[in-house]
Amino acid sequence: MEDIELQQIWKSYDERLQEQLVFNRKNALDITKMKVKSELTAMRPIKIVTVLVGILWVFFLDVLLINLFPVGNYFFLISFGFISLVNKIAVGVYLYQLILISVVSINSPVISTQKKIASLLSSTLWVTRILMLQLPFWTTFFLSSSWIGTGNPVFWVIQVLITFAFAGLAIWLFVNIRYENRDKRWFKFLFGNYEWDPIMKAREMLTQIEDYKEITS
Amino acid sequence: MSVEKEHFLTSIESNKGIIYKVANSYCKDEDDREDLIQEIILQLWKAFPSFNPNFKLSTWMYRIALNVAISNYRKTRKRNQIIQPLSETAIYLAEDKSEANEKRDLLQSLIKELKEVDRALILLYLDGYLYPEIGEVLGLSESNVATKLSRIKQQLKKKITAQ
Repeated sequence: MEDIELQQIWKSYDERLQEQLVFNRKNALDITKMKVKSELTAMRPIKIVTVLVGILWVFFLDVLLINLFPVGNYFFLISFGFISLVNKIAVGVYLYQLILISVVSINSPVISTQKKIASLLSSTLWVTRILMLQLPFWTTFFLSSSWIGTGNPVFWVIQVLITFAFAGLAIWLFVNIRYENRDKRWFKFLFGNYEWDPIMKAREMLTQIEDYKEITS
Repeated sequence: MSVEKEHFLTSIESNKGIIYKVANSYCKDEDDREDLIQEIILQLWKAFPSFNPNFKLSTWMYRIALNVAISNYRKTRKRNQIIQPLSETAIYLAEDKSEANEKRDLLQSLIKELKEVDRALILLYLDGYLYPEIGEVLGLSESNVATKLSRIKQQLKKKITAQ
C-alpha cells in the first residue's frame, strides 16, 4: 500500500464531511456566551473543597500548637509540629499545581503544552507521598515524657513497635507510590478511584512525549 | 452581534471540518464528541483575541483543538456539568447518505487506536499539512515529524492491508 492510498481514503472521508457537516450558528453563538461561566467554574469544586479543607486543617493545627505551646509536652509539640509542616507543604504544592494548570496556554505548540499539563498533574502523586510521612507522628502525639521510666514496660514495647511499624510503612509508601507501580494490587487498591485516572493518564502522556524526545536526541 | 463574534463564527464555519475531525478522533461516543466540540469552540473563542492574522487560521485552530482534545483526559466527569448542555451540538453530521466505505471506517477506527500524540501527527498529515507546518503545530522538528510519521504510516498500512 502506498502513502497516496492512505491519503485518498482520508480524502473520501473529508469529502463526506464537506457534504454533510452542518454548522449551527446559533448554537456556536451560545457557546461564546458561556465564557464567563466556564472560566469561573474551570477549577472543579472538589479541588476547591480539598484546598479549603486543607487550609482549615493546617490553620486548626497551628492554633492548637500556638495555644498549647507553653503547656504542651515535647511529644505533642514535635508530632503536631511535623504533621502541620507536612500538611502545609502538601496544601501549598497542590494549590500551586492547580494555579499553574489553570494558566497553561493552549495557544502554544501541542507537545510543550501537554508536557506542562501532564507534568503538573502527575506531580500530584508527590503530594500524596509527602502526606504519608506524617503517619508515625499520629502514634506519638499523645505520649508524655513523664511516662518514661514510670509507665508499664509492656505498653512501651507495644508503643515502640506500633511507631516503628508506622514509620516503616510511611517510608515504604513514600518510596513506592510511583507510576511504575501502577499495576501492583496495593497501588490499585489505594488509587483505583476514578479521581486518580487523570493522574495516571497524565503520566502515560509524559511517556509518549518522552518517546518524541528520544527521536530528537 | 459584534464584528468580532461575526468574524469568529465565520472562521469556525469555514473550518468546521477540523473541529469535527479532531473531536471524532479523540472521542469514543457521540455524547463525548458533542461535549468536546463545545469545549473546543469555547476555547477557540477565548483564544481568538490573541490570534495573529499573519499565521494560517487552520493551523492555529488545529493547535488549539488538539490541545483541548488531548488534555481532555483531565476531566473525570461529563463536561456538561461545567458547560450548560445545549439542545443540539454546534457542528454535527446530517443524515449519512453516503455509501458504506469499509476502508474509510477502518482507517478512522485505526487512528482512534493510536496514542494521542501519534493521532495528532497523522491527522495533520492526512489533512495535507506539510512537515514544517506539522512541526509548527506540534512543536517538533521536521526530522522528528518525518521519522515518527514514517513509523505510524507503516503501522496503519500494515493493519489496513491485513484486513
